[in-house]
Amino acid sequence: MDLGLIAQFLANGIVLGTMYALVAVGFTLFFGVLDVIKFSHGDVLMLGTFAGFTVWLGLEAVGIINPWLQLVVVLIASMVVTAAVGAAIAKWLVLPLKKAPPLNTLLVTLMLGTAIREAVRLFYPDGSNPKAFPALLPDASIDLGGFALRADSVILVVAGLLLIAGLNMMLNRTRLGLAIRAVAQDEETAQIMGINYMLVVLATFAIGSGVAAFAGVMNGLYYNEINFGMGLLLGLIGFSAAIVGGLGNLYGAILGGFLFAGLQVVGSALLPFASAYKDVFAFAVVIAIMAWKPTGLIPERASERV
Amino acid sequence: MTDIVMSPPVRRAGWIPGIATVAAVALYGWAILSAEEDWQVLGLLALAVIATVIGMVSGFGRSVQASWAAHESKLNGAALIGIVAVIAALSTQHFPLLMLSTMLLYFTASLGMNIQFGYTGMVNFAGAAFFGAGAYTAAVMGNVAWFPPLLTLVLGGVVSMALSLVLVFPIVRTTGHYAAVVTIAFGVLFKTFLEVNEILGGPQGLMVSSMRLLGWDFMDSPQIGGMKLSFYVNYALLCTALAALVFIAVRRLERSWLGLHMDAVRLDETAAACFGISVKKTKILAFLSGNMILGIAGALYGMMISFIAPSSFTFSDSLLMVSMVLLGGMGSPWGGALAAAIVILLPEKLQFLQEYRFLLFSVLVILVLLFRPDGLLPRQIRNYFPGARSRQ
Amino acid sequence: MTTSPLLEFTDLTKRFGGVTALDAFSMHLDRGEILGLIGPNGSGKTTSFNLLTGIYPATAGTIRFDGQEITNASPRQVYEAGIVRTFQRSRLCLELSIYDNIMIGDTSRLSQGLWANLVKRNSFRAEFDASFQKARDLVATFSGHLADRMFEPVGTLPMIERRRIEICRALVSAPRLLLLDEPSAGMTHDETDQLMRDILDVRARGNGLSIIIVEHEMGVIERITDRCVVLSYGRKIADGTYAEVASDAEVQNAYLGVD
Ligand SMILES: Nc1ncnc2c1ncn2[C@@H]1O[C@H](COP(=O)(O)OP(=O)(O)OP(=O)(O)O)[C@@H](O)[C@H]1O
Ligand SMILES: [Mg+2]
Repeated sequence: MDLGLIAQFLANGIVLGTMYALVAVGFTLFFGVLDVIKFSHGDVLMLGTFAGFTVWLGLEAVGIINPWLQLVVVLIASMVVTAAVGAAIAKWLVLPLKKAPPLNTLLVTLMLGTAIREAVRLFYPDGSNPKAFPALLPDASIDLGGFALRADSVILVVAGLLLIAGLNMMLNRTRLGLAIRAVAQDEETAQIMGINYMLVVLATFAIGSGVAAFAGVMNGLYYNEINFGMGLLLGLIGFSAAIVGGLGNLYGAILGGFLFAGLQVVGSALLPFASAYKDVFAFAVVIAIMAWKPTGLIPERASERV
Repeated sequence: MTDIVMSPPVRRAGWIPGIATVAAVALYGWAILSAEEDWQVLGLLALAVIATVIGMVSGFGRSVQASWAAHESKLNGAALIGIVAVIAALSTQHFPLLMLSTMLLYFTASLGMNIQFGYTGMVNFAGAAFFGAGAYTAAVMGNVAWFPPLLTLVLGGVVSMALSLVLVFPIVRTTGHYAAVVTIAFGVLFKTFLEVNEILGGPQGLMVSSMRLLGWDFMDSPQIGGMKLSFYVNYALLCTALAALVFIAVRRLERSWLGLHMDAVRLDETAAACFGISVKKTKILAFLSGNMILGIAGALYGMMISFIAPSSFTFSDSLLMVSMVLLGGMGSPWGGALAAAIVILLPEKLQFLQEYRFLLFSVLVILVLLFRPDGLLPRQIRNYFPGARSRQ
Repeated sequence: MTTSPLLEFTDLTKRFGGVTALDAFSMHLDRGEILGLIGPNGSGKTTSFNLLTGIYPATAGTIRFDGQEITNASPRQVYEAGIVRTFQRSRLCLELSIYDNIMIGDTSRLSQGLWANLVKRNSFRAEFDASFQKARDLVATFSGHLADRMFEPVGTLPMIERRRIEICRALVSAPRLLLLDEPSAGMTHDETDQLMRDILDVRARGNGLSIIIVEHEMGVIERITDRCVVLSYGRKIADGTYAEVASDAEVQNAYLGVD
C-alpha cells in the first residue's frame, strides 16, 4: 500500500474520530451528572443539523450568501436548537424518571430518538430523502505527494478539537464546571452546598447537546449530505465510543471516539475487497472490548456500596 | 381486644367473568380482523376503549382477574379454543389470517423477550436480529430438500442460540448500559452483515420455502366439505400451537425456582449472590432461552411470509419488539399478547397509520413509561400453583 | 478439632482508594457463640461483613471458617459454607411476595434443572409444599399475623416487618453463622427485645447457630452477646465481655469521639 493512501486513511480517521468524540463527550457528560444514558442524543443532533440546514435555506432566500457568515449563523442556529432540545428532554423526560430503574431512562430516550427521527422523516419537507448540505468551507486542498489534504478537513478537525479542549477547560476552570463536577461526584452534598441542581443538570444537557450539534454540522460539511437517519448511526457510534472508553470520563469518550474511527478505517483498509464490512468489523471489536473490559477502557472508579 | 386476625371471607371467584372475557375478546378479534373500512376499525377501537373504561370503573376488571387466578388452566384452555374459533371463522380469508398468525408469532417473540427484560432484567436490543437469525436459517435450510421443515424451526432456535453464545461472555460480564451497547452493536452488526453478504442475498434478501408437515405442504389450501380454505389456516394453526407451547413453558419457568432466581437477579444481584444464586448461570439461561424462542418464532415467520430481507430485521424492529414488552408490561405474558395485537393490528388495519407506526409506538411507549410504567396489563405477583393459593 | 474457632480473621485489611476501612483486624468466633461487633460510625463493621461474604476482595489478611480458608471466596461459596447475612440497608425484593423473598434464601439448594422445574411439576409441587411449610413456620415465629399473607408483596409492609422478613430469609437455609447488620434499626425497645427473643428461639431449635451482631443499641448487645469486639477507624481496640469492653478507657474515648 502506498504512502499516499495511508495518509488518506489517516486523515479520514482523524476527521471521523473528532466527530465521534464530539458526540461521545455528550453521553459521558450526561452520565456524569445523572447516571443516565440519554439515547436520543444522536437524533437530537440530527434535528439540530436540520435546523441549521433550514436556516441556511432561509439565508439563501434572503440573499445572504457570504459562506463564512452563513457558516457561523448555521452553526449557532443548530447548536442553540440542539442545546434547547437537549435541556428540554432533561427537564421533562429524564428528570421525572430519576427514581425509576435506569433502564427506563434508556428506553424512554431510545423511543424519543425514534420519535424525533420519524417526525423529521415524515414532517420535514421531503424528509425521507437526503438533503444536499452546502459546502461552506473553502474547497482548496494541498497536494502532498499523491495525497490531497482537504482544507475543510483541517479546519473541521482543528475547530472540533478546540471545542473539546474548550469543554475540558470549562469543566476544570470555571465555576459552572466546578458545579457540574460537584454534582457528578455527589449530588446530595452538592445540593447541601447550595448548588442549583436543576440549573446544573440543564446546563450540562444543553452543553453536551450543543457540542454534538457541531458534530452534526461537521458531518454535513464533510459529506455534503444530511439525512434523517444520520443521528441514529452517529448516536450509536457515540454511545459505543463513550462506553468503550468508559462512562463518566471525558478522556474515555475521546479515546473511544478515535478508537472507533480507527477501527472503521482499519476495517476498510484491511478488507479492501469488502470495505462494506467495516462497520461489522468495528462493532465486532466493540463487543470484544466489552468482553475484555466490561466497564470500558478507563473504568469508573466508584463501586456499589453495600 | 382480640387476637383474631380479621380477614374478609374469601369466596372463590367463579369462572363466568373469565369465560365471558374470552368470548368477548374472541368475538372482538374476529370483528376487527375482518373489518375493512377505516370507520369500522375506528369504531371498534372506540368500543374497546369504552369497554376498558367501563370494566375498570365497574370493578369487572378485578373480578376477571380473580376469576382468572382461580381457574387459570381452564381459562387458558378456553383462550386457546377462542383463537381456534377465530381462525375457523376467518378460514377463507388470506389477509386476516396472515395478520393473526403474525400477531401470534410476535406474541411468542414477546414471551422470549420477557424472560430477558421482564424476569431477569437483561436488556436485549437485538431482538429482531435473533428473530432474523431464525428466519435466515429457514431460508437456507429450505434449499436442503431432505431436511424436515419442522426440525428447521428447532434449528432456527439453535442457530439463534449459537449466535447468543458468542455474546454470552460480554453480556454476563457487563451490566446495565454496558450490556445494552453489546446487544445494540450486535444488532447493527447483524443487519449490516446481511446487507453486504452476497451468499445470504444481500439487501435483496432470500426466498424461504414453505412449511411441510407429514407430507402436507403449507402452501396447499385445505378443503373441508368442498369448501376451499385459505392456506394461511395451516400457518395460523401452527402459530397457535407454537404460541401455546411457548406460553406454557414460559409460565412454568416463571413459576419455578429458576423464575425466582431470575427475579432475584433482576432486583438485587448482590443479595442474590449472597444466597447462593448463580447470577451468571441465571443470566445465561435467560439470554439463551429467550433468544431461542425468538429464533424459532423467526423461522416460522420466514416460512410464512416466504420472502425475507435485512430491512425487516433492523434496529427499529428490535425497538418495536422492546416496545411490545414495555407496552404489555414487563414480565406479563398476557400483556405481551395485547401489545402484539396493538403493534401488528393498528398499522395494518388503519393503512393511513402504516407510515406513522414507528412514530406512533414510540410516543405510546414514552407515555406508558411516564404514566403507567407497569404496562397495560401489569404482571401479577407470582403464584406457583394458581387456584391453590387459598388452600395453602 | 472442635475446639478450633468457627471463624477467624487474621490481619484482615481493606482499603478503598485512600480510605483504610479495616486495618489488620484479627479476631475469632467460637462455635455457638454470639458476638457483638460494635464501634462508631464508619469504623468498618459493615466492611468486615462485606469481606467475609465475598462482596469485596480483601486487600490483605485471611479469613478462615471451620478450618477452611475462605478469604476472597465468592458470595456463593460463602453461602454454601453456611454463612448468611442481613444488610444494613434492607435489601429485599419489594415487588416479590413474602414467600418469594424468604425462598431466595433457600432456592439454590432446591432443584436447579430445567427438566425438574418445568416438566416434573409433581415433584416440584412436593418441593414447593415442603418449602412453603418451612417458610411459613419461620414467619409465624417472627410475625405471626403475616403467616397467612405469604403471597403479599413485601413492598406493602412497614419497615419493621421487612427487617423480620429479611431475618427469615437468612435463617431459612438453617445456616451455621448468621451475620446481623443493625437488625433493630427503626424498632422500638420492645420490638427489638421481641426480635432478639425470636432469633434466640430459632437458634435454640437448631444446631448451635453462631451469630455476629452489629448493633448501636448497647442494651441489646449487653443482653444477648457472649463477647464483644470493638472497632474504631478499622482497628480492633477491645475484645471481651460487654462489661469489660464497656469499662475500657479506649472504647469510651472512641465513642465519645475524643482522639
Ligand atoms: N464501597 C466503598 N467505597 C469506598 N469507601 C467505602 C466503601 N464501603 C465503605 N467505605 C468506607 O469504609 C469505612 C468503613 O465503612 P463501614 O460501612 O464498614 O462502616 P460501619 O462501621 O459499618 O459504619 P456504620 O455504623 O455507619 O454502618 C467508611 O469510611 C466508609 O466510607
Ligand atoms: Mg455499617
